[in-house]
Formats: sequence, structure tokens, C-alpha cells
Amino acid sequence: MISKDEIRHLGWLSRLELTDSELDRYATQIDEIISYFDKLDNVSLTGSDPARSIKKVSELRNDNIHVFEGDPLEFSKNRKDGFVKGPRMV
Amino acid sequence: MPNHLYRLTADQVASGIKNRDFSAQEYISQILERIEKIDLKINAFVAVDKQGAAEKARSIDKRIHDGEHTGGLAGVALGIKDNICTKGLKTTCASKMLEGYVPPYDATVIKKLKENDAIIVGKLNLDEFAMGSTTEYSKYGPTRNPWNINYVAGGSSGGSAASVAALECAMSLGSDTGGSVRCPASFCSVVGLKPTYGCVSRSGLISYSNSLEQIGPVGKTVSDVVMLMNAIAGTDENDQTTRTTAIETIPNTMSLDRIPKYRLHQNNRNIRVGLVKELVEGADPAVSKCIYSAVDLFSRSDCKCEDTSMKSIEYALASYYTIAMAEASSNLARYDNIRYGFDSNPEEYEWNTYFAKVRNNFGEEVKRRIIIGSYVLSAGYYGKYYLKAQKAREMIKQEVKSLFEKYDVLIAPTMPILPFKFGEKIDDPLKMYQIDIDTVVANLAGIPAISIPVGFSDCLPVGLQIMANEMEEQTLFDVASSFESIVDIHKSPEI
Amino acid sequence: MVEVKIGLEIHCQLTGLQSKLFCSCQCDYRGKAPNTNICPICSGLPGTLPLLNQRAVDFASMISLALGCKVPDKVMFYRKNYFYPDLPKNFQITQYNAYGITSIGVEGRVDYGIKSTKIRRVQLEEDPGRLIYDTSFYTLIDYNRAGVSLVEIVTEPDFAEPKDVRMFLNKITSIIEHLGVGDTKLDGSVRCDVNVSLEGGKRVEIKNVGSFRDVEKALGYEITRQKTMSVRDIEIKSETRHWDEARKVTKQSRAKEEEEDYRYFPEPDIPTIVLGNEFLSSLKAKMPELPDERKIRFLREYELSDHVAQVLIDNKELADFFESTVKIYSSSPNEIANWIVSDLLGFIDDSKREEGSLFSGLRIEAKHMAELVKMIDQNIINRNIAKMILGQITKTGEMPSYVLDKMNASLIDSKAIISEAIESIFNSEKSAVRDAKQNPNAANFLLGKVMQLTGGRADPKIALNLIKTKLAVLE
Ligand SMILES: [Mg+2]
Ligand SMILES: [Zn+2]
Repeated sequence: MISKDEIRHLGWLSRLELTDSELDRYATQIDEIISYFDKLDNVSLTGSDPARSIKKVSELRNDNIHVFEGDPLEFSKNRKDGFVKGPRMV
Repeated sequence: MPNHLYRLTADQVASGIKNRDFSAQEYISQILERIEKIDLKINAFVAVDKQGAAEKARSIDKRIHDGEHTGGLAGVALGIKDNICTKGLKTTCASKMLEGYVPPYDATVIKKLKENDAIIVGKLNLDEFAMGSTTEYSKYGPTRNPWNINYVAGGSSGGSAASVAALECAMSLGSDTGGSVRCPASFCSVVGLKPTYGCVSRSGLISYSNSLEQIGPVGKTVSDVVMLMNAIAGTDENDQTTRTTAIETIPNTMSLDRIPKYRLHQNNRNIRVGLVKELVEGADPAVSKCIYSAVDLFSRSDCKCEDTSMKSIEYALASYYTIAMAEASSNLARYDNIRYGFDSNPEEYEWNTYFAKVRNNFGEEVKRRIIIGSYVLSAGYYGKYYLKAQKAREMIKQEVKSLFEKYDVLIAPTMPILPFKFGEKIDDPLKMYQIDIDTVVANLAGIPAISIPVGFSDCLPVGLQIMANEMEEQTLFDVASSFESIVDIHKSPEI
Repeated sequence: MVEVKIGLEIHCQLTGLQSKLFCSCQCDYRGKAPNTNICPICSGLPGTLPLLNQRAVDFASMISLALGCKVPDKVMFYRKNYFYPDLPKNFQITQYNAYGITSIGVEGRVDYGIKSTKIRRVQLEEDPGRLIYDTSFYTLIDYNRAGVSLVEIVTEPDFAEPKDVRMFLNKITSIIEHLGVGDTKLDGSVRCDVNVSLEGGKRVEIKNVGSFRDVEKALGYEITRQKTMSVRDIEIKSETRHWDEARKVTKQSRAKEEEEDYRYFPEPDIPTIVLGNEFLSSLKAKMPELPDERKIRFLREYELSDHVAQVLIDNKELADFFESTVKIYSSSPNEIANWIVSDLLGFIDDSKREEGSLFSGLRIEAKHMAELVKMIDQNIINRNIAKMILGQITKTGEMPSYVLDKMNASLIDSKAIISEAIESIFNSEKSAVRDAKQNPNAANFLLGKVMQLTGGRADPKIALNLIKTKLAVLE
């Protein structure tokens, strides 16, 4: 059974501030979902991993400079002297 | 000039404009009018770019008038799912976390559509970050099913399917992570394709689950879907997971109308069809009845249909949701309201507190998936869930591969149930997940799958799903087009 | 004696690249206005995908080979998930070996002096952005650095002494420089995390020591701290500390954060990269000469002493200077090497050895050194004069022959004036005079004093003759 504390910890790992009622609801729902996932227990760990896409080094990006035109942060709202303003560290 | 231009297929629009039967501007103004009139009921669009569409139509007309070259989709009205980046046009994933976000670049598929002179009329509704099967989890409210507006349109590309079904645009793009194109295509009675993984660039598609999803075309007919697929498929240097083999051997610089990569020819001679028993038997009787009668019709032609079994399907959903949620939990970490997002001021907040506070503005389903994704990747559970899900995925892939040694295509229902009423499943997430059982196999195996309309039950659409081996889109189109002509149920809803 | 175990995690930017690791923005972010060296990919905009730089893979493989690592047939990338305001995606794309070896290098070994250290792994990863702590209300973020290629080198805890660490780091620096993959002199281009434990004790990590010079100091401080604690029976906790550059102490990191769970998993947007034999053999063919090979060559080709050769190859700039000098004047490589190692190095500010070019501020070039040694060989000047000339060259960049001509022009050749100077030195340096009487070689000291007194203008030949004559007649 997944506890509210576990959900709270997972919320922290994902930086989600969950309310008490969210914790209650999620604990029940997630427990049910995870129990469903438990059928994976029957899958053998010895099987091979799924084939991923494969590339040779020569197929990767060439080391050339291309300057992006425009400001990727044009619409960011909290700026100061070109910097992006973030929350304080302590 | 006919006054129902908006009813035309993309094929008909493209040739009509090219042959000067009508102008792009005449056509687009009817489309915009239609959207204005209908979308209040359907809620397929989250934004309409009237001005951009009108300007593009004017320039196409001018070029045609001047005898200049125009692209293969010149003048065709397209809607784009709002998780595909459009430069200068808001792209929000129907989430508060991307409120007001305007991408500074175009997704590769958008660049290709523009090169082909398609007209992008607007952005389409979806479940927040494409997580859902009904489009009920959108901050803009749900998209309604054009066949009955009290019913869900399916999801997560609800807007993409409903807009085409409701004749608000000729075609659209959706994205399919576990059925998100095929499910609403089935519920809205249109054609929707999930291409082979790596066939269509994901650059500019806002990631939900990178290893599973593909952008896919939605159209009224198989022929339209082929046309759109020809425009968007191909290797892309901006997506290193795109395939560099097979279809790319035909240079994609060639003009589509002259050398299509995929052709449209019906072929059902000696086609070997496997009907996936578990999926047909597992479906609602109303759905399986429809599927059986379609297969019956098809069997009367030269093809061989037989029942087949897919044992590993047992693990498909658990494997799919484990992988999807794991990837999602990581993909969605970047939404911290520092570089983009809704209005908020980070000043005076300690950073952890700030992140946790702003990120609580994700919707309920998104948060649920982030938490579960975090769980299956966390130190103690990686081996029990994530790793096992990967092994199950490979098992499914292997079984699918072996089935394609016996069959050219596999068929199954697209959805195990008929469209349902709003709110019916929203309080039971696991039940909601379970309706994806028929579609997730294609995403796990990376194979192409298409949903085509095959009938109605109680005036609600039923879709048939056809799957082919990887890179066998051509086979898929051949068979789908044959089915389409035999079943022939094309009609439009009365709205 | 309590045994000390030290391990290192070195982060080295691949500044030899043109573009960043996953996008085409410039690798060289230094000196640019904030957030002007960014694109949608490195600022983490939605929908962007990492586009792996093929030369970064080449460079990291070269480093792995140079550190004696095995390079696997296939490499993969992983996501390391954690939140931090300098990370545009709130995860870092890096490599990871817990689920099978997929990092670019593993199980290497580096020899230095008579010791050696095992390399656990080499991995390729992206640098985060930079944070500036502007006020106590907010932080300023600059993403210009975000996405620059880093190679992380992790050693086994094989070091027992800080000075071994120093020797090892010198070697790593020289390897990086010789490979041409990075300029270790650039500010912040090499960073080091160190872990220290006393025998049987808990492991303490010191994060982010900003320069290799400080590593030795940080280690010295930390070992003393731990030993003091253990003598007093205070328990040493397993913890992460930070190096306070200004106060030269290690400090406990702020409030204990909840333990991180990085939830590593394979990066789905980057394919598995096959390296294979073809790639590796073509890379090996392209590999430049490494410090060890170069030293062997120096010993063989130039017959240098082991010590001199070592000093030269420890710093690529020095070794290169030596070889360009020899190219111009090939008759006396040994003499050239000695002049570089014992005299020229003396002019180099100690701080320059760490930051900036070794020769920055010095105007000397190989042609100067070549002419100087040639003039010594041809007996045009003696070593004392040569030393004076060298001092002059480093400041002005004039050719030695020109400096000598100028000196000659102003030489005092009046025996009377020189004798006067000698008289005064003999009076003030009585004991030196006694020594010189016993040992004629010590006359050079007196000559030096005379030269000093005359501002270097006395003709040294005349002066030395006069000194010798005066010594001979002395009782
Ligand atoms: Mg690192
Ligand atoms: Zn960039």
C-alpha cells in the first residue's frame, strides 16, 4: 500500500506542492494503478532490452556554429540586465 | 462557386485551387466562417489565426495567378494540435504552465507544411500535455464529439479529429503516444495514422513520452492522409531519432505532387490479414459486431482473413503506462515558470518552494502521471517497474515481429468501446487507462497503425485499426484504402 | 600513520570544440553579454531535442584512450533528474554505467612518476548555466554556458597524498593540452570535486574546487580537519562540503537537503551510438603525440635528463617552446632545455602557471632563446651576461644581439673607473674576497657585485681581469 508520506516524498522529488486532499486522493488512485503494474512481476528480467534507434558517429551533428536568430527568452517575464531572474537560493 | 467548399476533401481542395475552380481566399473564408459558426459547439480550436490564414491564401492566389510554383498542399486548410510548436503562434499544450507561450521556432512538420503551402488555420484542443483519452483534461474545456455533442471526442488529439469531422478544416496534425490520434479518429469517424517510430520528425513536438510518440495526420479519407504523410515524413537533422533508411531513399526535396513517396493503390489481392482475437473479443459487443461485419465484407474479396493471437498483450498497458509516465515525469520537469509560463514573480521565494508552488498548477492528470513516473524510476523501484516494462516492451515487439512473418497486416478495433458521455470515466483513472488497450501495442512496437471508419452503432462511430510491420506504411495505405472503398461509410455529422 | 584515501571527479570543458554538446551555439561563451549565446535547445524550450555533436564524441573518446580506458562498442546517454535553477531542463544529460557499461571510457590507468591511479570512468555531459547571487531576494541566471561539453573523469580513491594529486592533475592537464581538446588555462574550464576519507572512516566530498591549484590546499585543510577530529574521537560524518576560496577552508554545505534520487534512465531522444573498431582505429591514427610518448622522444632525441624532460612535458607550452627553439638552433638542445627550465621559468610569475598562458606578459619567443644559446656556444657572451640579456628580452622582446650591442655601446672600459668600483667591493665584501683567494671560481661573485655597482656597464672581461690581478697580489 502506498502511503500518503510516500506520495508526499514523490511530490517533493518532482517539486509538486500537494494539498492534503490531493495526497488523499492520489494515494488511493496511485495505489490502484501501481497494483495493476504489478503484473510486470511475471516478466523475466533476463529478456533483452528493447532495440533503440542506433546511429554511427558520422551520422551525428557536425561541429559547426549556427547562431540562433532571435531571443529564445523573448517572452520570459522576469529579466534584469539580460539575466533571467530566478528565486533566491537560500 | 460552390458554397460548400469546406466539405471538400484535401485532395479536392488542392486540385480545385490549382485548376482555378475556386480561389484559396474563397475557400479559406468559408473555412473561417464555418469555424466561427460551429466551434462554439465543438470546441476543437484553442486559437484561430484568421489573419495569418487570410494572408497566406492571398499570397497563394497571387502566385497561382502569376503562374508561379505552389506546393502540393497549396491552399489546404490545416489545424495543428496545440502541442506542436508554431513560430509566432501561441502553443500551450492546453496547460496553465504554458499560458501565453509563443515558440520562437517552427516544428519540422510545420516547416514542411509551410514549404508545401498548406494554410495553418489554428491550433487544436487536446488533453493537457497530451495526457488523456477524452480531451476532458484541457484547460480550455473539453472538445465535443461532432456526432453527439454530449459525448467525448476521444483524445488526446480530440481537437484534431473533431475539427476534421466537423468540417472546420480539411486535415489536421495530432500526436499519438498510446493512441492519441487513432482514438479520437475512431470516436469522430475520420482517418488517423500513427506512423512508424522515426518516420516523422518530433522536433517541435512538445514531449510527453519521447520513445513512444509520433506526430500523425488526420483526414477525411485515406487518400488525404497519404497526401499529408508525404508532406511531413522524412529524416530530419533536428531529430536524431528519425530513421535514415527506406523512405528517405527518395529525396524529400522533390515536389510532392510529382513524386509522392507513398502511392495510393488499392490492393487486397492475396493480402494476409490477422484478426487479433484478444482485442476483438475484449471489445464491447457493439464494437466487435461492427468489426466482424467489416471483415466479412473484406473477406469476400481476394484476401485471407484469420483469427490470430497476441499473448504478450497481457503486459501491454502496464508496460506502456510505466514507460510513458517515467519519461513524462522527466520531460515535464522543465516547466518551472522561470523561462516561460504564466505570470508569476520568483522574487523572495526560496527556489524549492517556488518550484513546488508554481508546478502545482499542472492539472490533476498530469500531476498523477508525474508522481507515478517518479515512483517507477526511483531507486527502489526501477528494477521492479521501469526495467520490467522495458523487457515487456521488447517481448511485445518480438511477438509482433513474428506475427508479421505470417500476416501482412493485423486488424483490431481501434477502441474497445463506443464514445461515452462526459464525466463517465474521469474519476477512475485506471478505467480510463484501460480503454487504450487496443492502441498501445503499435506505440510499444514502433509500428504504423491507422484507424478508419467502419460503421456506427447507435449513431456513434466505430473505427477499425490496421497495423503493419515497421516502415510498411505503403502496405497499410493499400489495405486501408481497399477497406475504405468496400465499407464506404463516408458521411458527415449534422451539426 | 593513518592512511588517507583520496578520489577525484574532474570536470573538463571541451573548449576545443566550435559548438556546444547538443546544439549549434558557440562553445566559447566567455565574455558574452548574458543570455546572448543561447538557442531554443540549450535554453530548454519545449519541443527541442538534443543534437549530439560528433566531434564531442571524438574528443571524449580521445581522452578515454589517452587515460588508458576501454572504449565500449556502444555508448548511450542517460538523464540525471534533479531540480536546480541553473539547469534549463531540470535534468542533465550525462552518462551512467549502473545498468551496463555505456559511458565513453572505463577502467583506465594513469601513471605519474613512480605512482599510478586507476580511472573508474570517463563520461560526456552538458554544463549547466551560471548563477549569480545578486541580492538576497533573487538569483540571476545566465544560460550562455548551458550545454557546453564537459568530460567528467572519475578516479578510484587511489591517492594517499595531496602532492600525488597535484602531480596527477598536472599530467591530466598536459594530456588535455596535448590532445588539443581543451584549453585548461581558461577560467573555469577545469573544476574538481574531491572525496577524502581516513582509513576505515566515512567519505567526505568537497564540491567545486574552482582551480587545480586549490585542490592541494583544500585536501591539506580537509585531511588536517579529519585527523584532528579523529584524534579527539569526534565522529566524522559522511557529508558534502564546499571549498571557500577566499578563506581557504572547507565548509559544511548549507541546510541538509533531502537525499537526492536522480532517477537515471536512458535518454530517449539520443540514439545509441555505435563506435566500433573502424571508428576507434581511425581515431587512434588521428591521436596526437601524448606527454608520455613525447618525454620518451625528448630523452632519446635530445638526450635530456629525466627531470628536465619531465618539467618540459608537464606543460605543453614549455615543451612546445623548447621544440620551436631547437628547430631554429639545433646544436645544443640540452643547453636550451636547461635555460628554459632553470632560468626562463624563474621569470614566470607563479600565478601564471595556473591561469592564463605561461608566457603571457613575457615577450620572449623561440628565436630569442635560439640566438641567446648560440651566442653562448660561440663564446660571444658568458652565462652571466646571457642571464642579464634574458632578463632584458623577456621585458622588451628585443633580439639578444641587439641587447648586447646596446650594452657594449654603454660599456665602461676605463680601467680607472672599474678599478675604483673593484676597490669599493673588496672593502665591503671581505669574506667573499677571502673565499675567492682560495677558490678562483668565487671570483664570479665579486664580478657580479662589480657589475651591480656599475649598473651592468662595466666591461666584464676587463673587470674580471682586474679582479684576478688584484686577488693575485693580495696577501
Ligand atoms: Mg558530472
Ligand atoms: Zn544553443
